[in-house]
Amino acid sequence: MASIETEIAPRRRALSRALRWMAVHRSIALGGFLVGLIVPAAILAPLIASVDPYAQDLLATMEPPSWAHPFGTDDNGRDIFARVLYGARISLLEVVLSVGLAVIVGVPLGILSGMSGRYVDQAVMWVMDILFAFPGIVLAILIVSVLGSSLINLLIAIAIFSVPVYARLSRNLTLGLKSMDYVEAAISLGISRRRIMTHYILRNAIGPIIVQSTLTAGTVILSAASLSFLGLGAQPPLPEWGAMMSDGRNYLGLNIYMSLFPGLAIMITVLGFNILGDGLRDLLDPRK
Amino acid sequence: MAMFLKNRRFVLASAVAGALMFPIVAGAATLNVMQTEAPRSMDPGDQTATYTAALLDPMYEGLTKRDPDLSLKPALATEWSSDAAGLVWTFKLRPGVKFHDGTPFDADAVVKNFTRHLDTKRGLAASGRLRTFLEGVTAVDPMTVQFKLKTQYPAFLALLATGPCLMVSPAAETAGTIGSKAVGTGPYKLAEYKSGEYVLQTKNTEWWGGAPKGEDEIKWTWTPEPSVMNMALQTGDADVVNPFPAAFAQQIKANPDMTLSATDGSAVFWVSLNTKMKPLDDVRVRQALNYATDREGIVKAFMQGFATPANSPLAPVTPGYDKSLAPYSYDVEKAKQLLKEAGYPEGFSMSTIVQEQESRIGELLQAMWAKAGVKLEVRKMEGGVWSKAAFLDPAGKEKDTIGSSIASWSSGVNGADLQFRPLYHSKSASPAGANLGFFSDPKLDELIDKAASTLDEKARNAIYVDAQKLVNEQAPHVLLFTKQDLFATRAGVKGTWVIPGGLIIVKDARK
Amino acid sequence: MKAYIAKKLLALPLILIGVSLLVFVAIRALPGDPARLMAGPEATQEAVDNMTRRLGLDRSLPEQYASFAYGAVRGDLGISIKSKLPVVDEIAERLPFTLGLAITAYLLAIGIGVPAGMIAAIYRHGWPDQIVMILAIAGASIANFWLALMAMNTFSVQLGWLPLLGASSWRSFILPSITLAVLPTAVIARMTRSSMIEVMSQDYIRTAYAKGVAPQTIYWSHALRNALIPIITIVGLNFGSLVGGAVVTESVFNWPGIGRFLVDAVRYRDYPVIQGVTLVAVTGVVVMNLLAELLIAVLNPKIRFD
Repeated sequence: MASIETEIAPRRRALSRALRWMAVHRSIALGGFLVGLIVPAAILAPLIASVDPYAQDLLATMEPPSWAHPFGTDDNGRDIFARVLYGARISLLEVVLSVGLAVIVGVPLGILSGMSGRYVDQAVMWVMDILFAFPGIVLAILIVSVLGSSLINLLIAIAIFSVPVYARLSRNLTLGLKSMDYVEAAISLGISRRRIMTHYILRNAIGPIIVQSTLTAGTVILSAASLSFLGLGAQPPLPEWGAMMSDGRNYLGLNIYMSLFPGLAIMITVLGFNILGDGLRDLLDPRK
Repeated sequence: MAMFLKNRRFVLASAVAGALMFPIVAGAATLNVMQTEAPRSMDPGDQTATYTAALLDPMYEGLTKRDPDLSLKPALATEWSSDAAGLVWTFKLRPGVKFHDGTPFDADAVVKNFTRHLDTKRGLAASGRLRTFLEGVTAVDPMTVQFKLKTQYPAFLALLATGPCLMVSPAAETAGTIGSKAVGTGPYKLAEYKSGEYVLQTKNTEWWGGAPKGEDEIKWTWTPEPSVMNMALQTGDADVVNPFPAAFAQQIKANPDMTLSATDGSAVFWVSLNTKMKPLDDVRVRQALNYATDREGIVKAFMQGFATPANSPLAPVTPGYDKSLAPYSYDVEKAKQLLKEAGYPEGFSMSTIVQEQESRIGELLQAMWAKAGVKLEVRKMEGGVWSKAAFLDPAGKEKDTIGSSIASWSSGVNGADLQFRPLYHSKSASPAGANLGFFSDPKLDELIDKAASTLDEKARNAIYVDAQKLVNEQAPHVLLFTKQDLFATRAGVKGTWVIPGGLIIVKDARK
Repeated sequence: MKAYIAKKLLALPLILIGVSLLVFVAIRALPGDPARLMAGPEATQEAVDNMTRRLGLDRSLPEQYASFAYGAVRGDLGISIKSKLPVVDEIAERLPFTLGLAITAYLLAIGIGVPAGMIAAIYRHGWPDQIVMILAIAGASIANFWLALMAMNTFSVQLGWLPLLGASSWRSFILPSITLAVLPTAVIARMTRSSMIEVMSQDYIRTAYAKGVAPQTIYWSHALRNALIPIITIVGLNFGSLVGGAVVTESVFNWPGIGRFLVDAVRYRDYPVIQGVTLVAVTGVVVMNLLAELLIAVLNPKIRFD
């Protein structure tokens, strides 16, 4: 008897410890829960949705929610539930691509700028300030008007206007770390710049970058939805959430479901990322 | 900012925006009419869009006019006669008529109006239909004109009531302002044209026909948004809405405060296939696309049943229409088989360009044709951009890989020639005409020309039946449906009627 | 202090040059003949030749930029392809509507956000605080055009209380400004809350409490004055996000401002308009940012933006 109890006890203790941690760090728990809802839904979409999101049933258009169609059907008879699920995939793709691109370009740029001499640093920051001066949506509209209206071009545009945040973040972190004793010691010891950047700076920067990424994720989804809503991003028949709401707009007064559910999906997803980001930021904030 | 504060328009617009804060009292009796698109031009001779023609109707008149029962009556001409061969027509003009700018209406004005269309260097949009049969126009005396036709043309009198034959002020024409400032002879004159916002027309107190029967003012607005049109009618912001969006039509029918009018229309919707682009140059491919199209489904999903699936290039209201034709059923297997025969067992990719209002048709076709293996890319374009692209020549369409265009064409009640010739005659290949797919069949050209000059109605219609069969078989278009003319008014509005094709007549309407 | 202000003022033209360069390069990056693009597809060869001369395409690229920038400063932003009117005039006609909407939205945001943030700070950890925080974070997570559509469906179509689209009467302002105000309200509420919390924990506040000064006086005169900083921060520094929000809001409501004008221009490929509106909008944002930074520097010298 005793041995079994001592076997179970550590696991139970670990579980209760985890639960207590989550109760304290409510934001991370809640945010993580919401994001954890969306991500698997996106990945497992083909399994959850029994219907093809592109299949049109022209005899069953604009139907309210029912057992067959939990969210109803749209004006072309397509199942809204399936489209929302597949839209989650698109949103996830948006986040990974845009945030990924912004981080891959912005972070090295910022670190290099911070490590370089004054003039290079000023020049790079000048370019970043210019990009930053544009309201995101306006810059995205400008870029899309040049590259053409498509989801990929939109994601590139969003990545471009997200770069300055990461560049500035990494650059400031670099400047701060550069003056720290142990970094100065490393430099005087002759350790290569590259090693300094990766070993010391990058390691310290990862936390804030992750926090920023969750916050940027929300911005990406909202911006992509806004521009697709305006017709300048995802093109039909892609079930992008913003584009779906644009379709629904034509039927104001007749059918609210076409716009209601994609919008709810956006809210839950962005809320999840924002709460998660808030929680992570509090966790990593040295002030606490 | 400083440059803006000094800008007169900024100050004016600030006043307007500021004035919005204070409730405005409604003005004189105004009939508010809402359509789906902005007017293309103020010159009836330089445009071919039905809704623009509706907007211009209260301001312009022709030698003949149509009554609500669709019969032709004298308008600016009081009587006419032709010689035995039907090639020389003499018209007596109505005396005492003046254009809105004071220019007198006389034989000289008529001659000036028609010669500008016969001038091949002018390039006016609506001239095409005149040039096929009109030789020349001369003034016999200040109140008499004579028309010389190249061939007999049965639709001649009907045409005189439309577009290029409507009389514009020669002074305004010469000054080059007619495109933005309408000057006609009609019961209403242009009061204000606020580009992008509205057109305001007021009564012409000096109209030859006495006191105009309609409201004091007619205000035209437009929006591509169906929900806005519905709302505007519900709130009373619009008294007349044309064309009323099918999606909301059932709601309106059930509402006693509003009246829905659904009459047989003449606008035929189609997909024009670029016959000069592979693989659409192969007739089997074109026929396959026709088999892959579920017309009933489109009628239900896009028009909520307010349309008839198309079985012919002609609308059912057009004389000569043959309702017995049944060229294509919805048969995906047949479509796949034809594609295989043509050498495309895996299908192929193509693009289509479409305006905002018809973009859903593109999406519907996208899903339908995908079942047959055809990957359709739908390019949504804003009105002006679409026009440019649709009317490109073969080289232009090749460069932009424009495989097809979705649009509609209505010949109203002016005869089958005005449906066949602009769309299917080889001489109408864009940019000269609306044959967007460059379809060219000498046999069809022959049939069209022969029918146009056959005065005997029975014989003419028989030729048109052959023409319909040929067009169905050669499939330069995927014919979709003929739209009913749907318009809605507030219950108290009387006197509105529509010429098949969606050309709404509001000049006699009262609310 | 003076050095800081001078540095900021000097940076302004540099940023504006950079912005105009970016816009210039972006439009030049389009494939095709720039003159034809600017003159529009319907232009005659003569009009295209005129445009070629106007753009200075026969001269070097830096010279072209110089003439473009010089023209912009003098108020010449080109001619709209669609309307054939000067872009400046078109913008001038629409700017008041955007500004009216922005001002109304900001007034709403401040009027609701500041009190909400104060209440949240005063009753910290209590249920008012929880509610305000939840609403604030929700407000920052909602697609404001979704809220707009839901509101339009209820208030305009179903109930008929408010006009659906366009700017026809004072009632037209209600839905668009509420829509635009959602995000700034959420941000202002949060910042007011955290700023007030920080201020209220200061020694001089505790001294005032101890001295028996009425709580109301403490909140309103001492704490709030210091909370002004975040408000200015939001209004000035986040003006860019408001402009972005205005673009979408105007499109949803068919509001005749420069935001909708920009979106329509993209659909119509009206490049002179795209160029002009972008320049004007970004210049406005940059100037507002600068004003806010300077104002904050004057009010609280301890805060620096570097």
